[in-house]
Amino acid sequence: MHRTLRRAGLVSAVAMAAMGMAAGLGGPAAAAAPTAEVLNCWTSGGESAALAEVRAAFTARGGVWKDTPVAGCSNARAAAVNRMIGGDAPPIFQFSIGEQLKELAEQGLLGDIDGPAKAANWDALLPPMIAQVAKHDGRYIAAPVNIHGENWMFYNAAVLERAGVAVPGSWPEFLEAAGTLKGKGVTPIALGGQPWQERILFNTVLLGVGGRDHYARIYGDLDRAAMESETTLEAFRTFAALRGFVDEGSPGRRWNEATAMLIRGDAAFQFQGDWVKGEMVAAGIEPGTAVGCALAPARDTAYIMAVDAFAFSRSRDAQAQAAQTLMAEVLLDPAVQVAFNRRKGSIPIRNDVDGTGFDACARLAMETLKDTKTHLVSTGLFGVSSSVSGAIDDAISQFWNNPSMTPENGRALFIRSIADAR
Amino acid sequence: MSHAEPSPALLTAADREAPRPRRRLSPATAARIALIPATVITVVCFYAFIAWTFVISLTRSRLLPVYDFVGFDQYRRLFANARWWTAMENLAIHGTLFIVGCTLAGYALAILIDRGVRAESVFRTIFMLPLSMSFIVTGVIWQWLLNPTFGIQDAVRDLGWTDFVFNWIVRQDRAIYTLAIAGVWQQVGLCMALFLAGLRGIDPNIWKATRVDGIPTWRVYLHIITPMLRPVFFTVVVLLAALVMKAFDLVVALTGGGPGFASDLPARFVVDHILNRQELGLGAAGAFMMLCTIAAVIAPYLYVELRKSRGGR
Repeated sequence: MHRTLRRAGLVSAVAMAAMGMAAGLGGPAAAAAPTAEVLNCWTSGGESAALAEVRAAFTARGGVWKDTPVAGCSNARAAAVNRMIGGDAPPIFQFSIGEQLKELAEQGLLGDIDGPAKAANWDALLPPMIAQVAKHDGRYIAAPVNIHGENWMFYNAAVLERAGVAVPGSWPEFLEAAGTLKGKGVTPIALGGQPWQERILFNTVLLGVGGRDHYARIYGDLDRAAMESETTLEAFRTFAALRGFVDEGSPGRRWNEATAMLIRGDAAFQFQGDWVKGEMVAAGIEPGTAVGCALAPARDTAYIMAVDAFAFSRSRDAQAQAAQTLMAEVLLDPAVQVAFNRRKGSIPIRNDVDGTGFDACARLAMETLKDTKTHLVSTGLFGVSSSVSGAIDDAISQFWNNPSMTPENGRALFIRSIADAR
Repeated sequence: MSHAEPSPALLTAADREAPRPRRRLSPATAARIALIPATVITVVCFYAFIAWTFVISLTRSRLLPVYDFVGFDQYRRLFANARWWTAMENLAIHGTLFIVGCTLAGYALAILIDRGVRAESVFRTIFMLPLSMSFIVTGVIWQWLLNPTFGIQDAVRDLGWTDFVFNWIVRQDRAIYTLAIAGVWQQVGLCMALFLAGLRGIDPNIWKATRVDGIPTWRVYLHIITPMLRPVFFTVVVLLAALVMKAFDLVVALTGGGPGFASDLPARFVVDHILNRQELGLGAAGAFMMLCTIAAVIAPYLYVELRKSRGGR
């Protein structure tokens, strides 16, 4: 396999070289411009506006950007992998950092961007946890561009006020508040009932009940003793108690529909990543005002980071290589970081960017992340394979949707699913 | 079949023009040559890829195909997977309900229309219309209708029956039945059309004869017409069975496999594991098991039916 891939790469390199020569005959000046196709999955309004900021900076520095948007990020990943196997890899493509990217690197399919990364001193700028997973054999293979947070609690301030409920600071407090709200005819939690959204809620509870060390032992080390502990059982108990605070229409609901419930005031809380702020901005609400944001109740402060990134395929074409270097520089450029992340609803991946101009939630996130002890990630960035994270989703969703399942059963299913998928 | 003898002068002229008469291909050879492209496409795109899928299912491939053979390890993992068995069980439930439901409802509608209702073409159009929609659209429509907070349940409650409950789509033990409801709704028109064509093809003399003998209409349908429509039933069942195995878009749009994975189907399991979970080997094993399932169900039926029709001729 390795050899066939190499050969395919060689053939395409020859073809590209031939094309490069043909272009060179047309005009030497044009041939020198760094040119690359950029495969991405940012097709929605806010996302493409954010990407346009990167593109503008890239073009301003003389790059030629050939845009290839693919709807749906799993489709985009599949497209990138298929084209790589076929020997026609896009030089720059959006991909998630983690196990899959390492597998591509091991097959010799990726180019590294260690040059620009060293030059800009990424090691000092990136959160250490992210820097570590963005490298393979000590060299950067991906450029992370932003940090989204997964353990947020958004709330409709007016609804809470009307019900006389304060923003809860712990899970017992939350359960009490939810009971009051339910009694007043408000749906306490707006939940999109899809496995990945149910997992976000579970992880939030797990972090809240168990604390960050417990969370890291479970998802970072897949530590069996931690999974079997009383703390994990307590997390399952709290999670099970939340079942009654979700409306009947939850299963299958998309996250943005749940956010709409929150904005309308039909529901009081939503536990989701900070990408929901995009929906609020679209509805004309400044995040942190009518819809408030707080980190979900937790034993100790932590921030579960989710990162978007670009990766780079191995290329022998000088123009493409120049474009890859330029892209790595542009993505981490401080001005681009601010412009991009303000539109995306995330926060800069660099720790040296000033928070002015960002909304209150983003400023809270930036403040929280100053302490590296708060840094946590979800399964993929911990290096857990996608088959194991998929099995975790299955187990959590199965438990959540089956009210006859006890917390003990849930914990057992969780442990068994992980063991089977490893 | 007699030819006029060509004149010697003409023959010599023709000989001078073309020394030998052009050899003509026999019709059989020509047909074979014409079939080569289709055969090659079938063999490569169908059988070769089946073989490749099987080979992949014997490897430990995850994101990329690697030829590192692990025997039947992926099958062992597949058979130990609770979600796979839920999907297979759902396939059996959905398949049975969908095929039986479509066939019976389609046949009943065809008989009603065949009895000579007024404005026949209006009814025919109404029953055929859902067929013009894709499974995705059907799934979305029924997702709205079945949603307990704003669908049928909510509408009936607004009419005054406040205790009315129809929340199958959000219940793990019932979600799979909603799939059959939406599927039958969409495909019943096709079955009706096929049965109607069959009913219209029945010799009117048979009806006259039964009327002379004074046989009740329902008995004519049950004992005379239905056995005569056997080939139509065969066609309908094969068409529907193929739709059952392919059912992917309907479940994605209607329930997304949920709640949990309660309404998952094998096709969705395979796509999810190959594209989203980078479990190429496991997905390939699932795909191959789907093929075996179809073969096990369809082959005996095909064998019996085709032998019967050949023997009858």
